[in-house]
Amino acid sequence: MNKTNKGNPVLDRRRFLQQTAGVVGGTALLSSLPLSWAVASGRPETTSAKLGFIALTDAAPLFVAVEKGFFAAHGMTDVEVLKQSSWGTTRDNLVLGSQRNGIDGAHILTPMPYLMSAGAITPNNRPVPMSVLARLNLNGQCISVGNEHADLKVRLDTSEFAEAIAAKRSGGDAVNAAMTFPGGTHDMWIRYWMAAGGIDPNRDISTITVPPPQMVANMRVGSMDTFCVCEPWNHQLINQGIGYTANTTGEIWNDHPEKAFALRSDYVEANPNAAMALLKAIMEAQMWCEDPANHEEMAQICSRRRWIHAPYADLIDRIQGNFDYGTGLVIEDHPQMMRYWKNQASYPFKSHDLWFLTENKRWGYLPQDFDSQALIEQVNREDLWREAAAALGIDSADIPDSTSRGVETFFDGKTFDPEDPQAYLDSLEIKRLA
Amino acid sequence: MSSMQRSNTMAKAVSFRWAPDFAAIQQVLVQRVLPPVVIIALLGILWELLCSSPGAVLPPPSQVLRDTWELIVNPFYNHGGNDVGMAWQILASLERVAYGYSLAVVAGIALGVLVGQSTWAMRGLDPVFQVLRTVPPLAWLPISLAGFQDSTPSAIFVIFITAIWPIIINTSVGIRNIPEDYRNVARVLRLNGMEYFTRIMLPAAAPYIFSGLRIGVGLSWLAIVAAEMLIGGVGIGFFIWDAWNASMISDIILALVYVGIVGFVLDRMVAFIGSWVTRGTAQG
Repeated sequence: MNKTNKGNPVLDRRRFLQQTAGVVGGTALLSSLPLSWAVASGRPETTSAKLGFIALTDAAPLFVAVEKGFFAAHGMTDVEVLKQSSWGTTRDNLVLGSQRNGIDGAHILTPMPYLMSAGAITPNNRPVPMSVLARLNLNGQCISVGNEHADLKVRLDTSEFAEAIAAKRSGGDAVNAAMTFPGGTHDMWIRYWMAAGGIDPNRDISTITVPPPQMVANMRVGSMDTFCVCEPWNHQLINQGIGYTANTTGEIWNDHPEKAFALRSDYVEANPNAAMALLKAIMEAQMWCEDPANHEEMAQICSRRRWIHAPYADLIDRIQGNFDYGTGLVIEDHPQMMRYWKNQASYPFKSHDLWFLTENKRWGYLPQDFDSQALIEQVNREDLWREAAAALGIDSADIPDSTSRGVETFFDGKTFDPEDPQAYLDSLEIKRLA
Repeated sequence: MSSMQRSNTMAKAVSFRWAPDFAAIQQVLVQRVLPPVVIIALLGILWELLCSSPGAVLPPPSQVLRDTWELIVNPFYNHGGNDVGMAWQILASLERVAYGYSLAVVAGIALGVLVGQSTWAMRGLDPVFQVLRTVPPLAWLPISLAGFQDSTPSAIFVIFITAIWPIIINTSVGIRNIPEDYRNVARVLRLNGMEYFTRIMLPAAAPYIFSGLRIGVGLSWLAIVAAEMLIGGVGIGFFIWDAWNASMISDIILALVYVGIVGFVLDRMVAFIGSWVTRGTAQG
């Protein structure tokens, strides 16, 4: 039994390489051919895949790909999209893979597939090779602050907030900032935001991991001062009168990358055509989600018990880009609303993955001498994205020329040049290099 | 023992129901059914009163009924994914509990007999058991996951490991408390090992074993939320987790009622088997 198992992936890899070579060579040809031909040429090796998601609005492309039949249209008729209870269980199920009753891929915090491939967050530090096939969205997370600090009306500058928590701490009370997974995107946003205003997230405040559902309940009983999470928790906090939205994370870094669509690398190697079919279906679903005409239907899909299971009224506002911060500030048609396709939201820029790895070094989750570039070359499969884009006949304006989006600028004026990540690290005052 | 007596009267009450004696039925209704109905109604009214003010933090029962009415009246619907009726959720969980609990019964009684019979084994294993039995089910999940490398056996293991401790401990206490007279009788009659086991040990320890089994079945049902956190999908434990995710308090309350009723029925089933088995062996 072992022998056959060992034999297949090798064969499959060879076949995969041949096919990829053929497809890459014929990309120009492919894009001029009708879609049906491209689908027929790469019949999926399997029609099934198990994909995990967390009940958040940025998983919408996965729901839509099921509900609107995009997976089935690409021959993936047996895709199961399965709700996970936390980022920890998403990781655990990915480590198992569907053959051991886990999952093949997931809607996931962008740094997680990297931390898994590096073995930083897996049991016994055993690396689990993962592949990032697409970004699922830009923007759309929020940082919330409890009503205890209501008079501060904290926005982006945390210097006053720093004094408030310092006073609270000297009074003997604990101060906590909560995020959803160590090294994940929410951890990065809330740390960046606090550190920019002079709060050291390791010394001045306890930065703790709390699953999204506990955020609102924990803030109600006063066990945390601020948290960073996706919707609908920030909006619900306002509705329950417990806190307010300080900022939406796009205001910290405009059009920042957020969730990714990642598959286990062995799934991609064994089923290259199926992986391609999944990717195409998700890209089409992302385009569907971006269209404002579909936002009401999308909110209705999200509200179903099987998906997010939250009232339609809690979802629709921020999906349509209307942000009530709960402090009197209301921004309609927010420029930093969640993007699923526009502004090249779907393309997995290598430069963005490099920022996440650099920021993980900044907070000591990865060692300073960690070889980020080598891991990005292994995990980031933007080549597959380009192949899928060509096959779908995507407008060339939506396909970036480079794997880098260039120099990124943050709200506090700091810049990240992907050519020189060390200069970015050096420019930061608060950090905890390991 | 008092619970056993209660079960006996229950059994009698059941046998009464077969006779066409309306006076007896009425008596049963008044004595057995009326008190819990009155108490539940009173608690419901109290809850309704406490929670119907506008600023209430919990929904009153009338709102819970309104919110969950579709789930209550359609226990067998299937909308795909984990969006299925409560009956399917409970059946899926009961299946997991059945596997985990059955394994716990077999392993628990075997280990309990060992610890009860052998003083050396007792001294060696008892501290281990006493420490391990306090570990919460949730803490076992990552450990079993790392060990089994598969989610289905991990979930069953969490149920197994939660249910096994009271079974072991009660069985060993029962074995150790076999009266010296019984052991002497066995010596006089020159019973061999197998005969001693089936004729003396099991009947004498059965009341203890079954009280362990009853606690165990309750605990295994409690572990279902932890067990289903990982595997997700269909199951009452994941339903609770999911309702929490979506802060659907009414759904959680409905699930609690179902979990409570199923737990009560499981407990009664084990108690009934216990009273039947102990009487049967005593007569044999």
